[in-house]
Amino acid sequence: MSFLAENLPLIVDGFILTIEVTLFGIFAGLGLGTILAIGDIYGGKIVSTFIRFYVEFFRGSPIIVQLFISVYVIPAMFQTLIDPIIAGFLVFALNSAAYQKGYIKGAMQAVFEDQMQAGLSVGMSKPQTIVYVILPQALRIVIPAWSNEFCSLTKSTAALSILGIRDLTSAFQSIAIRSFRVLEAWIMCAILYLIWITIMTKIFDIVYEKKKIPGIEISV
Amino acid sequence: MAEIVMECKNLWKTYGKIIAVKDVSFQIREGEIKLVFGPSGSGKSTFLRCLAMLTIPDKGDVYLRDQCLTKPSVDLNKARAKIGFVFQHIWLFRHLTALGNVELSLRRVLKMPKDEAREKAMEALRLVKMEDWAKHYPAQMSGGQQQRVGIARALARNPNIILLDEPTSALDPELTGEVIDTLRDLARMGTTMLIVSHEMPFAREVADEMIFYDEGAIVETGPPELFFTNPESERAKKFMARLIKKTKRE
Ligand SMILES: Nc1ncnc2c1ncn2[C@@H]1O[C@H](COP(=O)(O)OP(=O)(O)O)[C@@H](O)[C@H]1O
Ligand SMILES: [Mg+2]
Repeated sequence: MSFLAENLPLIVDGFILTIEVTLFGIFAGLGLGTILAIGDIYGGKIVSTFIRFYVEFFRGSPIIVQLFISVYVIPAMFQTLIDPIIAGFLVFALNSAAYQKGYIKGAMQAVFEDQMQAGLSVGMSKPQTIVYVILPQALRIVIPAWSNEFCSLTKSTAALSILGIRDLTSAFQSIAIRSFRVLEAWIMCAILYLIWITIMTKIFDIVYEKKKIPGIEISV
Repeated sequence: MAEIVMECKNLWKTYGKIIAVKDVSFQIREGEIKLVFGPSGSGKSTFLRCLAMLTIPDKGDVYLRDQCLTKPSVDLNKARAKIGFVFQHIWLFRHLTALGNVELSLRRVLKMPKDEAREKAMEALRLVKMEDWAKHYPAQMSGGQQQRVGIARALARNPNIILLDEPTSALDPELTGEVIDTLRDLARMGTTMLIVSHEMPFAREVADEMIFYDEGAIVETGPPELFFTNPESERAKKFMARLIKKTKRE
């Protein structure tokens, strides 16, 4: 296992980058996904058509293609350079938002009709009712789906290595090549992904249990 | 005579071919209790929702005291804060406790400080005898208890009037009694109420006026005694006969 100790800094750096991208992707995706869900429900035809295109694009093409577009096509179109790391963070947030929008919208619609009427009936405005009544329920319902989304998001970040970004996969790629310990390297890599996903899934479970309210837990 | 609290003039609301509210005019004065009854699908709920501006009427005007709610410039949220509404299917906020349900609008609409809102909400819960259930969530209560919290939520803001849309009809028969008792308490306190209900003994006891509503229109109005003895219109006569038969069977 000495090859691991030798390459520890590389592994740690790669692991940290993967952790950062996944956390940024899932949380920025949640914020943006929530805004997209509200926009889709309330924004009228034009906004919701625009949102539909956005979602179709991000769900309908491989993330690796989205990464290439962000790193090669967009900079060429606008005559600028984009740091691949920044592009990577953004693509994962935007991509995750497209998926999360669907879950959040579904959850909002599930609690929507009667709860909106009730909110209006006590004198709250529509935005107030969304913030104080609809979202607190919808976000609770969405936690299990959110946990799944985190899992697949984390796995797809391996695509970053193709852009030359030093994530966990890319770290082990170079270790495998240099040390000739292909088997151990990739097993170790898989274990680290597994550990990260297990930790976060556990945290989501705990949050779900802690935030659970009788009557609005949803089995998924 | 007491002041007019709520009034509508020549109100209309249609859904495609269905006319749910057809040129309805109505008024209710401070402290009065009026009871609307009539066949299902005749537009009673729509009428109530239009009065509360939860559904915007097509034509006609709604007044809350001196304020015309159907003018485009009106802040409807502010206006609704002065109207209590109780739903047939209760519709409590499912993620909030009984206390939270009552408190929410006091905090977010009336902008009361936390302590004051809590005190006021507890007072409303005491009125409906649900203070011991303050910390419970809707899913942990029976239908009757939920509806009493729904009533507390409607009255906590000291609204000018409370509109109740069949507050007991979604409940199991053995649970309607406790809700009726609560309404009786409100009646005793002089609360102005417009109630859609088919609880005839209760109507006879508390209503100042009964309104027979059919096919989107007010067909006949009068004191309860009129309807129980000799309604004028054929339709009201038939409907009352059926209701009384049904009540007896139960
Ligand atoms: N939001 C709506 N959209 C379409 N039709 C509606 C809507 N609300 C009520 N209606 C129709 O209007 C009529 C009156 O309904 P409602 O006011 O609920 O009657 P009631 O409360 O007397 O049973 C019914 O035919 C109903 O189907
Ligand atoms: Mg109805």
